Amino acid sequence: MRKMTYAEGIREGMSVKMRENPDVFLFGEDVGKFGGCFGVSAGMWDEFGEMRVRDTPISEGVIIGAAVGSAACGLKPIAELMFIDFLTVGMDQLVNQAAKMRYMFGGKINLPMVVRLPSGGGIGAAAQHSQSLEAWVTHIPGLKVVYPSNAQDAYGLMLTAIDDDNPVMFIENKVLYSVKSDVEDEVKPIPFGKASVLREGTDVTLISYGRQVFDCLKAAEKLAKDGINAEVIDLRSLFPLDKATIFKSLEKTHKVVIVSEEAKRGAFTGEIASIIAEESFFELDAPIKRVGALNTPVPFATNLENYVLPNEQDIVLAVKSQF
Amino acid sequence: MISIGIIANPASGKDIRRLVSHATVIDNNEKINIVERIVLGAQALGVERVYMMPDSYNIGYRVEDKLNTCDELKCEINVINMFRFDGIEDTLKAAEFMENLNVGCIVVLGGDGTNRAVAKVTKNTPLISISTGTNNAYPVMMEGTIAGMAAAAVASNRFNNRLFVEKDKRIEIYKENELKDIALIDAVVSKDLFVGAKAIWDMNNIEKIFVSRSHPASIGFSSVVGCKKIINPNDDYGAYLDLNSNDTKIMAAVAAGIVIPISVSEPVILNFDDEYEYITKSRGTIALDGEREIQFSENQKYIFKISRNGPNHVNVKKILETAQINGFFTV
Amino acid sequence: MNITNEQVKNMYQTMLKIRKFETRAKDLFAEGKIPGFVHLYIGEEATATGACANLRDEDYITSTHRGHGHIIAKGGDLKNMMAELFGKETGYCKGKGGSMHIADATKGILGANGIVGAGHNIAAGAGLAIQYKKTDQVCVCFFGDASTNQSTFHESMNLASVWKLPVIFVCENNGYGISVSQARHQAITDVSVRASAYNMPGVTIDGNDIFAVYEAVGEAVSRARKGQGPTLVECKTYRWRGHFEGDMTVYRPNGELDAWLKKDPIPRIEKYMLENNIMSEAEIANENAAVDNMIKDAEKFAEESNVASLESALVDIYSDMVEEGRVR
Repeated sequence: MRKMTYAEGIREGMSVKMRENPDVFLFGEDVGKFGGCFGVSAGMWDEFGEMRVRDTPISEGVIIGAAVGSAACGLKPIAELMFIDFLTVGMDQLVNQAAKMRYMFGGKINLPMVVRLPSGGGIGAAAQHSQSLEAWVTHIPGLKVVYPSNAQDAYGLMLTAIDDDNPVMFIENKVLYSVKSDVEDEVKPIPFGKASVLREGTDVTLISYGRQVFDCLKAAEKLAKDGINAEVIDLRSLFPLDKATIFKSLEKTHKVVIVSEEAKRGAFTGEIASIIAEESFFELDAPIKRVGALNTPVPFATNLENYVLPNEQDIVLAVKSQF
Repeated sequence: MISIGIIANPASGKDIRRLVSHATVIDNNEKINIVERIVLGAQALGVERVYMMPDSYNIGYRVEDKLNTCDELKCEINVINMFRFDGIEDTLKAAEFMENLNVGCIVVLGGDGTNRAVAKVTKNTPLISISTGTNNAYPVMMEGTIAGMAAAAVASNRFNNRLFVEKDKRIEIYKENELKDIALIDAVVSKDLFVGAKAIWDMNNIEKIFVSRSHPASIGFSSVVGCKKIINPNDDYGAYLDLNSNDTKIMAAVAAGIVIPISVSEPVILNFDDEYEYITKSRGTIALDGEREIQFSENQKYIFKISRNGPNHVNVKKILETAQINGFFTV
Repeated sequence: MNITNEQVKNMYQTMLKIRKFETRAKDLFAEGKIPGFVHLYIGEEATATGACANLRDEDYITSTHRGHGHIIAKGGDLKNMMAELFGKETGYCKGKGGSMHIADATKGILGANGIVGAGHNIAAGAGLAIQYKKTDQVCVCFFGDASTNQSTFHESMNLASVWKLPVIFVCENNGYGISVSQARHQAITDVSVRASAYNMPGVTIDGNDIFAVYEAVGEAVSRARKGQGPTLVECKTYRWRGHFEGDMTVYRPNGELDAWLKKDPIPRIEKYMLENNIMSEAEIANENAAVDNMIKDAEKFAEESNVASLESALVDIYSDMVEEGRVR
């Protein structure tokens, strides 16, 4: 066991695969000598050289498009977008090309590509650099979407993502980059569609992913003091989604609060809520509750940003409203 | 009414030479700028009306609009009202039209092809040919303002044309006693099997070169001959030679950026009355001023002749000298 | 650049295949046998054919919504194509793509594309893959004049140039972006001038002259194979039909189509072959009959093929997952 930051976990995952397979390469804005805007690829340029850790022009469309084209021609590209917000600039390439080519072409093409998407608020980066857009990508058939919350998961999910023959959206949380956590000496690929239960409980299920996993854990501690024993599920993978783990937990707790950092309107949490309502309604003893950001752009000033983004207190309140 | 004509070919400056001989695309906005400067130079020295060939890019109208917008247009711009083919036909028609209107001078902005077309249909009108690229045999690089001033001096009709208008030579190519086409500077027999992208740059395919003039300071096939023998525009003869005949090798600028060793025979003088009969040995093409134009098959007879039936070109330096001596510039 | 008689004959056959495939597709669409949208390539045959005549099987192309011509020219199978237009399970995409999404990875065809300008970036990616693997393949990116107003054009031209990717950008300037003429959608007449903004060679040629296309793209391909980077080749051509079948082309000025019909690339190559004794009148007639039969066979194959099973709609979204079906 060793300690690693979340960023190091991602880096190690990429590096292991790049050492193993010469067809794997990383490209994006400032990923080279600069080491990436958040330092995720620091040192990789020195190890793998400029062709395999390649700086691109600031052209998100062609970054994703070139990932599509090179994947279609047999490479295994990892494309880094500096912020998930910039995905909007290359959305056609992702939604109309990457996600649909296999299907449109009758399954006769593989697109083994990973798009890395630094996401979320909490660093005072304001409205164009703080969004959580996982609902957009999970909505599109043809994409897989993962969102790790810690170094071990980031590492293991990256190994799986690179080996996958489909476009994988690898969403990373910017606040978590510097957070250290335990990583096994030998990290095995973590299969997609397998949630992890971070805290066992009996009274309510808190479903989350990314940074809000930690808010859920903190909320669970607070709730424990009030005699409410919360189970915390880290989804890790948003599509494929581990419905089995969710339903199994509900059979035990019969109450659920779903938490994400997204603006609540149209959030991916709504999709989870509707799945539960449709498929597991009779397990429920209380209305499903969702916790998210307010339906505003993410503001700049620290007090405003803190106000708009969800925190553990919102989770505690949501849980208490069910009792 | 003192008038001149301007023929600006919107299609020139974009052919395959951009790809094979280090040339760049000349975009039409630059041509508009050049035409504006021609007009400004011309109107300043008395030109009252400028006839222009219509084209797909509306160069004439755009020039008029731009000069009007900055309140600098003093003469009248008349874009000829004619059906447009968006091809070489437009040049032929516009040049003919301008000659019939008795314009004092035609300024041609284009490549060799454009000039050849103008030369075919004009008999008397003096031409000023401005190059729009780096690869031309006939037109020369010149500032538009100067060309406009020179055109104005010619069109003023105050000076004796003989002082500054020079009748050029041309190479005439006949097939079955019919004038098939002309070249102004050079005609080349090549083994290229099709006209295709027109320009010619692979020396290995070339068999024979005919020139109306030759000089090492030129670009293209006249330079190939010119590296062996100089033939001036005023010499009453041309020449031909064979290529790839295992004779002496010379270095010549066969195209912009392409200076390569070529084996050539001794040039043979072709006098005005001489007819060179060429029987084709296989399929191939004849390139005129560096552009493949005529496609031939085996065993056909072509006759090459040099004559002085080429265009009347204005020696810009001389007309401006004449103008200066005669006080044309005095306000 | 020279050419053998055999190559000329092959190019002629390819052009015929495109013309006749498209002409039949037009009729089948009118008869209601082909659903959806069909964008026909009639009139532009010389461009795809001349360009692809320089390519090998392992070279790539990206295509457009008007893609049938490119796919045929790159060696696409007429039967699988026609079956795809019919939406049959034997189609190239098993009925899931249709006219606008035909692809054939074994022939380097990275797909027709329904998004105007999307192929540019994919082509840059293919170029990147080739450069990365250090082979001498190339990628030809076909696109129309109107797509050069998309950001993808700028992004991909810039990337291809700064990285010297082996991509040949072949612009089929057919004068229209759907119904809007070039004069109304961009303030230039020659797309080739845009090349200089990216420090790459740009050439304009007659897209209806198969030899001009063959030669210009050939030079560009040889540059790319040698690692000298991308080229923009603009082929001036014209689509005879509307943007799609059913478009009444009310936006076209009188006489425009007629002028272009006179520049039909097919009689031009026929004339060349006759003049140079490459094919006789009789051989040309035979070739036409042979291609007619290929089209008939393709249509028969498509007609007789099964429609796709409903379950097939649920697969091929991912390599390793099947979606849930509908319960009724």
